[in-house]
Amino acid sequence: MSDWFVCYVRRCATSTPGNSQISREISKLCSFERTNSFPKVNVHFNKIAFFVTNKRPIKAAMFSEVSAPQEGSCSLLLCRPGSEDQEPSVFDRVKPAYSPCSERFKLGERSFNRQYAHIYATRLMQMSPLLTERAQQKWGADVRIRKLCDLQMGEQCCIVGTLFKHMELQPSILKEISEEHNLLPQPPRTRYISESDELILEDELQRIKLEGNIDVDKFVTGSVIAIYGAEKNDGKFTVDDFCTADLPPQAPRTTLSSDRFVLLLSGLGLGGSHADSMLALQLLVDMVTGHLGDQGEQSGASTISRVLLAGNLLSQSTQDKDASTKAKYLTKKTQAGTVDAMRLLDEMLMQLVSSVPVDVMPGQYDPTNYTLPQQPLHHCMFPLSSSYPTLQLASNPHQATLDGVRILGTSGQNVKDIQKYSSMDSHLEILENTLRLRHLAPTAPDTLGCYPFYLKDPFILEECPHVYFSGNAPSYQAKRITGADGQEVLLVAIPEFSSTQTACLVNLRTLECEPIRFSSFSAGDDEESEMNISH
Amino acid sequence: MDDLYLDNIDEFVNDQNKIVTYKWLSLTLGVHVNLAKQMLYHYLDQKRKEGSARLHATYLVSGKFVENGTTSHKVSVVREDQLEDAKSKMSLTVSVHVYSVQKAVLKDSGPLYSADYDAVKENLRNCSRYSAIRCADAVPRSSAEVQQACETTQAPPPETEQIKANHSNLASKPTSKQPKGIMGMFANKNVSKNQDSSKEIKLEQKEVTPVVETSKTKPAPKTNPVTNFFAKQAAKKPDKSIKEEVEIAQTSSSVDEKPTSPPPKAETPVKEELAKDAVVEKDTSKTKRLEHSDSEEEKNESRRKKRRRIKKPEPDSSDDEDSPPQLQEKRDPSPSPEIQVKKEPVAVSHSDELSDCKRRKRRRVLKSRTFVDDEGCIVTEKGYESESYSETEDDFKFSQPTPKNPNPPKPSTGKKEEEKKSKKAAVASNKSTKQASIMGFFQKK
Repeated sequence: MSDWFVCYVRRCATSTPGNSQISREISKLCSFERTNSFPKVNVHFNKIAFFVTNKRPIKAAMFSEVSAPQEGSCSLLLCRPGSEDQEPSVFDRVKPAYSPCSERFKLGERSFNRQYAHIYATRLMQMSPLLTERAQQKWGADVRIRKLCDLQMGEQCCIVGTLFKHMELQPSILKEISEEHNLLPQPPRTRYISESDELILEDELQRIKLEGNIDVDKFVTGSVIAIYGAEKNDGKFTVDDFCTADLPPQAPRTTLSSDRFVLLLSGLGLGGSHADSMLALQLLVDMVTGHLGDQGEQSGASTISRVLLAGNLLSQSTQDKDASTKAKYLTKKTQAGTVDAMRLLDEMLMQLVSSVPVDVMPGQYDPTNYTLPQQPLHHCMFPLSSSYPTLQLASNPHQATLDGVRILGTSGQNVKDIQKYSSMDSHLEILENTLRLRHLAPTAPDTLGCYPFYLKDPFILEECPHVYFSGNAPSYQAKRITGADGQEVLLVAIPEFSSTQTACLVNLRTLECEPIRFSSFSAGDDEESEMNISH
Repeated sequence: MDDLYLDNIDEFVNDQNKIVTYKWLSLTLGVHVNLAKQMLYHYLDQKRKEGSARLHATYLVSGKFVENGTTSHKVSVVREDQLEDAKSKMSLTVSVHVYSVQKAVLKDSGPLYSADYDAVKENLRNCSRYSAIRCADAVPRSSAEVQQACETTQAPPPETEQIKANHSNLASKPTSKQPKGIMGMFANKNVSKNQDSSKEIKLEQKEVTPVVETSKTKPAPKTNPVTNFFAKQAAKKPDKSIKEEVEIAQTSSSVDEKPTSPPPKAETPVKEELAKDAVVEKDTSKTKRLEHSDSEEEKNESRRKKRRRIKKPEPDSSDDEDSPPQLQEKRDPSPSPEIQVKKEPVAVSHSDELSDCKRRKRRRVLKSRTFVDDEGCIVTEKGYESESYSETEDDFKFSQPTPKNPNPPKPSTGKKEEEKKSKKAAVASNKSTKQASIMGFFQKK
C-alpha cells in the first residue's frame, strides 16, 4: 500500500518544525518501522503531504551501493584481528542460469570455394520481407513497393535493396596492381570517406544511384534499407525518405529479485610492451575473486555472476612479426610474442575461473582466425584453466542468455570498420546504428573479413538482445534505448582496459551499466598535485 | 590468537626487505585474506606506537566516484599520505584497508604487482582458497573428463588432417596412444629382419614419406648421436607419422631393424638417411634432389651385388606387365630412388591385408627384371609396370626397390610373390631405395 496522504497542520507561530521532524512525528503516528528512507514529506503552506509506503524503495542499485558497508559499522579491516572464534566471512558466488546461444557463429567444416555474392543474396532475401513490412508501417499500407526493374519514371514508390557506397578512397587491389594507373600503394588511412562518395542501391537484378534526402556519410556498404522516392529523368533515384529494419522483436526478460552483475571487460593487452595496466588488471582479478576490499565489497563481488572478456586479450604488439623484418639468424630461436602472452593470460584466467564463470571471446589480435565469425580460442592454449568447467571459450560475436537476460556483442571489429567508412565517431552511435539496421556487421564481407556464407547470414539479428555491447572502444559509453515495439536495450561500448583501466558492470536486474575504474599511484602523481596547489 | 604473525611480518619487512602485501601474506601464512589485512594493520599500528616509524604503507580505497556527471566505482591503491585525499574525493567510501607494508617509500606502484606475482604463480592451483568468495561450480575436472570433453568437441579428424595438424606439441589422446603402440610394436618385434624386410613399405603420399621416416627415427635414437639432432625435428611431426604408423598394422622391416641397429646396416642407414633427409629438408623435392646427388653409386653397387646374389635361386617367371620394359640399363638408377622415395606402391605384405584393403588402385611402378638373354648374359632391365596397391595399406615400410623384385609383380598376387621372393633382398633393396643422406658419412661400411 503506497499513497500520498494529506493532512493539515496548524501553523505554529513560534517555530515551524523541520521536515525531518515532521516526518518523524508522522511515522510515529503511523507506527512505521524506522527505515533508511523516511516517508517523503512535502511541506506546503498549510498542509503537509506525505507519501507513505510499506514497500522498501528500490535504490538505484549501483555496485557501490550494493557493496556499501552497513550503517554504523566501521571498517572491520582497519583494526586488529578479532578473537579466534570469529570465522572470516566467506560468501558464495551467485549462480545464474546461463545458456550460450552462439551456435550460429560456430563454423564446422569450412570451404572457401564459394563466392561472397551469396551472402548478399541471402541477406537481401532474409531482410526484404522485414523491410517491406516496415515500409508499409511507415508510409502506409498502400505504398507501392517496386523492384528496380519495374520502376516507372516519376512514380512515387518504395524500393528495397542493399546499399553500396562508392568511395574513391577505398583501397582497391585492382587499382593497386593495375599497371596503367601506375599507382603507388595507398598508405592506410583512418578514414576513407570523402565528399565525392555516392550511394547506390542494389536489389536482386539491378542497381540505381541514390541522391536527395539521404546522408551519404552515415551509411555503409551492405546495409539493407527501404527507400521512398521517385526515379527522375536522369536515371537516378531521388530519395524522400528511408527506413531501416529497426529493432527485432524482443522476448521479455524475467525480473530478478536481487542484484546480479555481469562484468564486461575487453582490451586486456597482455604481452604488450607497456605493463602499465598489469597492476590494475591484478586489482580487478582480486576484486572479482573476493580478495580485495572490505567485507561489504566482497559480498558485493559475490554478486558478480559472470565475467565476459570481449576480445583483444593480447596486445597488438604481439602481432609484430620480427621474423619478417629481421635477419633469420637473429630470430631463429626467438619465440613469438604470443607464446608468453598466452601463458600470462592462462595464469590470469586460472585465477578467475577458480572463482567465477568466465566467457572468453577472441578479438582482433588474438590467436584465432581473422575472418568473422572468429572461432573460439582453442582449449589447448589454456592448459591450466581449461580443466575448470567455469571457463567458456566463446566465439566472436557471442550471444548468451544469463538469467533470462539476452546478451549479444562483438569484440569491436565491426564497429571499428564502420567507423573507418562513415563519418560516425562514437562507438555507441555506431552500435545503435547496427542495431537499427538489424545487422551486426553490414560491412562484412566488403571491407571486413567474413566467411563466405551462403545458406543464411548469421549476422542478421533475429531477436533483440537486452544487452548489446562491443568491445575495445576508446572510452566507456553506455545508453539505454527503446524500440518501437517497446524493446529495451542497454548499449554498452566497453572501453579498452589497457589504456583506460576501466571495466563495465551491468546490473541484470535493472539493466544499468556502471564503469569500474582501477587506479594506482605513480611517481608522476606527486608532481601533478604539487602543481595544482601552486596554482 | 598468538601474535607470532607480528614477528613473521617483522622479519619479512625488515630483514628480507620485502614488500608485504595482504595477498602475499595470506598465501604465505595460509590465512584468510581479511585476516591478513587485519594482521597488517595490527603490525603497522604496533610499530607506529613503538615509534619505529620507518615503515610505509599503501592502502586500498574503493568507493563511488562522481566525475563529469557520471558515477563510477573506483578502486585504487594509494599511498598513506594520499589516503585522506582519496577518501574525500569519493562520495561514498566502500572499503579501506591496508594493501601493503614495506620499508621503503614507493614512488611507483609497479613493484606491488611484481611482489605478488611469484607467490600467486606458485599457488595457482588453490588461489581461491583464502579468498572470501567460494564458487561451487569452480571445481577442476579430472583429466579424464577433460579429455572426454575435448574429444567430443573435436571433429574426428581424417587422416590427412592429422598429418597436417602438426604444430601442437600436445599430443591428443589418440596420438599419444599411437606412439606407445608403435613403440610397443618396435619393442616386441625383434623378429628376424628377413621376415619383416619382406614387408614393403608403402609410401602413400609425398609428405608421408618424410614424415614416416621421421617417425621411424624416433624409436631408434641409439643408432646415432646424429639421430638425436634430427630426432628433435622429428618430434615436431609426431602426428603425421603416428597416424600413418597406426594404420601400418605391421612393423615395417626397416623400423624393426632399427632397434637392432648393427645388422641392418644397409637398411637402417638407408632408412635413416631417408628419414633424416626428409627431416632436414622438410621438402620432398629437395630430398629427391639430394638423394640423387648423393650416394647413387654406392647404392647401385650394393644393389647390384645383392641383386645378383638374390636372383640366382629365384625362378625367373616374369610375366610381362602391360608396359614393356621401357627403361634400359643406361637409365640411371637415380630416377629409381626418386620414384621410390616419392611413392612407390609397394606390395602389401600380408594376405590378410589384401583382403582388408579398402581401395585398390593400379600404379605404375618402376621395377627391374632380370633375365638371361640370348647370349647367356644376365640382363637387368628396368621398366614401368602396373601394380595394384591399396591406399589404406598399413605397411609403411619403404618401398622395396628394384633389386628386390626380380620379377615384375602380377597385379593381385604380385605382392605376395614379391614378398616371398624378396625377403632376402630386403636388406639390399632397402638400402638401395634409401636415398643417401648425411648419415652415410657416419656409417661404417
